[in-house]
Amino acid sequence: MKFKSQSCVYITILVLLLAVVSSMCINPNEPPASESHLRVALAYGPDKTLDPAEKWTGWYMREVGVYETLFSHDENMNLVPELAKSYEKMTDTEWSIQLRDNVYFHDGKKMTADDVIFSIKRVLDPKNSRSSEYDFIESIEKQSENEIKIKTKKIYAPTIASLSDPLVSIISSDATDIAKKPVGTGPFKFKNFVESVSLDLVQHPDYWKGKPGVDKLTIYFIPDGTSRLFKLEAGEVDMAMGIPQSEVETLKKSGKYTVDSKETLRTYFLYLNTKKEPLNNIALRKAINYGINRSQIVEKALDGIGGTPALGIFPASMEWSYADPKLNENNEKEIRELLEGAGFKDTDNDGYLEYNGKKFELGLLTYTSRPQLKPSAEVIITQLEKLGIKSKLTILQSGAIENKMAVGDYDMALYAWGVAPVGDPDYFISKHFLSTSSEAKKTGFSNKRADELVKMGVETLDKDKRKEYYKEIQQIVTHEIPEICVFHQNSILGASNKVKGIQQYPSEVTIITHRLSIEE
Amino acid sequence: MHNYIIKRILITLPILFLISLISFSLVFITPGDTAQIALQNPSGGADEKTVEAFREQHGLNDPFYVQYIRWLGNALQGNLGKSYMTNSSVTDSILKAFQVTVVLAAVSMAISLIIAIPLGMLAALYKGTFLDDVCRFFSLIGVSMPNFWEAYILMIVFALILKILPSSGYVPNNWKYIILPSVALGTGYAAITMRLMRNSLLDVLNQDYIMSARAKGLSEITVVFRHALKNAFIPVITIAGLNFGYLLNGSVIIETIFAWPGIGNLLVSAILDKDYPVIQGCILFIAVIFLVINFLVDISYTYLNPKIRDNI
Repeated sequence: MKFKSQSCVYITILVLLLAVVSSMCINPNEPPASESHLRVALAYGPDKTLDPAEKWTGWYMREVGVYETLFSHDENMNLVPELAKSYEKMTDTEWSIQLRDNVYFHDGKKMTADDVIFSIKRVLDPKNSRSSEYDFIESIEKQSENEIKIKTKKIYAPTIASLSDPLVSIISSDATDIAKKPVGTGPFKFKNFVESVSLDLVQHPDYWKGKPGVDKLTIYFIPDGTSRLFKLEAGEVDMAMGIPQSEVETLKKSGKYTVDSKETLRTYFLYLNTKKEPLNNIALRKAINYGINRSQIVEKALDGIGGTPALGIFPASMEWSYADPKLNENNEKEIRELLEGAGFKDTDNDGYLEYNGKKFELGLLTYTSRPQLKPSAEVIITQLEKLGIKSKLTILQSGAIENKMAVGDYDMALYAWGVAPVGDPDYFISKHFLSTSSEAKKTGFSNKRADELVKMGVETLDKDKRKEYYKEIQQIVTHEIPEICVFHQNSILGASNKVKGIQQYPSEVTIITHRLSIEE
Repeated sequence: MHNYIIKRILITLPILFLISLISFSLVFITPGDTAQIALQNPSGGADEKTVEAFREQHGLNDPFYVQYIRWLGNALQGNLGKSYMTNSSVTDSILKAFQVTVVLAAVSMAISLIIAIPLGMLAALYKGTFLDDVCRFFSLIGVSMPNFWEAYILMIVFALILKILPSSGYVPNNWKYIILPSVALGTGYAAITMRLMRNSLLDVLNQDYIMSARAKGLSEITVVFRHALKNAFIPVITIAGLNFGYLLNGSVIIETIFAWPGIGNLLVSAILDKDYPVIQGCILFIAVIFLVINFLVDISYTYLNPKIRDNI
């Protein structure tokens, strides 16, 4: 068939060309603004509501610099006063908290005891879905314009620390619509919010720590890590949180960006089922604990930058941390001897150990919603196989793993936990090492002394004594090994060299501060 | 004809019922305790007292059929419940996200048709020539290229190197932000549609009536545009319609990569949060959209093709 007229060919080509050309004639760069504008890409943002007392919205609202709390944590996770000036223990169950008198809300109102009481009472309201976490508080009273008194039902050591949770962010008691128009004390004032898209903020000139370094701040919510990186590289944002670990080197090499990686409080644990054979044999648990090479996991699975090898539950910078120095040794000969002494021998020369002459295989369960889990689990399997321990990785949905763990139908599971959301060790320790706790039920851990210590830890106000108790619990855990700490996740921030004053905190809730500035 | 439409609607009803049952059962099929999962602290663990109160409040202690009937009753009135995470209306969230997805779907569809139809025609008219080979080569690439990869390549080329388009993000009614995601989404469909267009036109051009049209001495343009195209379009429209159905369901990957707050993104974040009311609502909504599109395609098909229309 021969097609004589070619005009339709020309028409098509013309249409296509027009489409291409018209798409080229766009200039996405907005005209330069005279005021300084910092643009930041975050992975997640608040959902519908901006009310900090609603679920975990407070975390996001603190991250972006809108809200603050009475107390917070410094870069080493020490509890420091923020909107409070100081605190005092009056009796074992009564605390008086002195407030700063130079704090102004975004609406111009001065912060007083009434605002603080109003903010905390909103959380205590039984209708609040997280109120039960604060049911240790019996009452909260105003002492003067700048002082409040908190009475607890019984002695509760983490009382002051719990006031650092962004759930109890201090809001203006005059605010009429907290869910839509936040009014806080932070360095940045709310301007506009587009759900799942962006949040616009402007500086709060009367910020109590000093005038913020930038006039305007825009936060973009970009769930995909690579897209966040591209947004930074395209110059559409000046700073991006959660840079994919594999891209860090390239970004550093370009010379145009600063990459900051900071150890966080999120620790990755290998749960061991101490009730099931052969892991009920402590020698095998010990062999795994001392046999896995944490530095290699970080190197191979996390590109050497996505995490820090964990020698204890808490990151080394925290005062509650207790490290087991032996975890670094990886003495293979010693481990093999330990295993052999406990009946783990390769009797049939197939390269794998048998337990009392019987073949066995350890299953490792993990899930994928945290990208660090799967590659780490794969490296762990390789390391166990090298020791002659036959093992198999299974990826499941986290709910399915929970179900299996609840009935003890598992050998090992790799999980991530934020170990100290308010900086106090009780949160993690009491959820994992109290015999009746949810996580101890999964590992089968039960120790009378640990139970006593957990109770004493909450009921003792003397910090040095508490440190002793928590150290002893961690020693017991090191001995019994119901869980193995593998690494602490690092938070990786990338920013253009123009951005100054970057400081990351292990608590992760403090990112945007008044010190951030941008050079033109 | 009317009978046919009524029959089609009646067939749809049991399908809808089944879909509602399946999407609701998801909560019960997927492992894990709903309340526990919904209240999971980002640090790990959930407060037990809060979990119990939550179960009570949301009626999670009731038997399956009670919960299902309650949900279905509300769903029939357009109320898909409230999100566990935000406590806001699921129906509102879905409709809002759908508006975003519709824009993306429409532009992607337009792009795919603009590329596919002329190129498909060219390939058919110049069958066996170099032009045909080029078209087929690109359609093969278009079909086999994963769209997330294409998305990143587009971002690198247009945002990082040429700096003429924003890499990602969503700004309502700003067409600069629409181009990259819709191209990434549209090209795959364009490739499929183009091959279909080519084959369909070739098919038609081999028919006897085309030969008689040519024998009459009509110009090739008249033959193609007046006689061949109309018939060649029938299968293309069917497939384009179904593709539009897929597009309207939101592309989970493209919406996530480009940070578009559409249905796909809504569903993914609901799945990550285990926000069951939103997951159920999204699935039901997506299924309904699909049924509606399918229905419309069927109807339009009968209008376009008199043979089918007469047979009903």
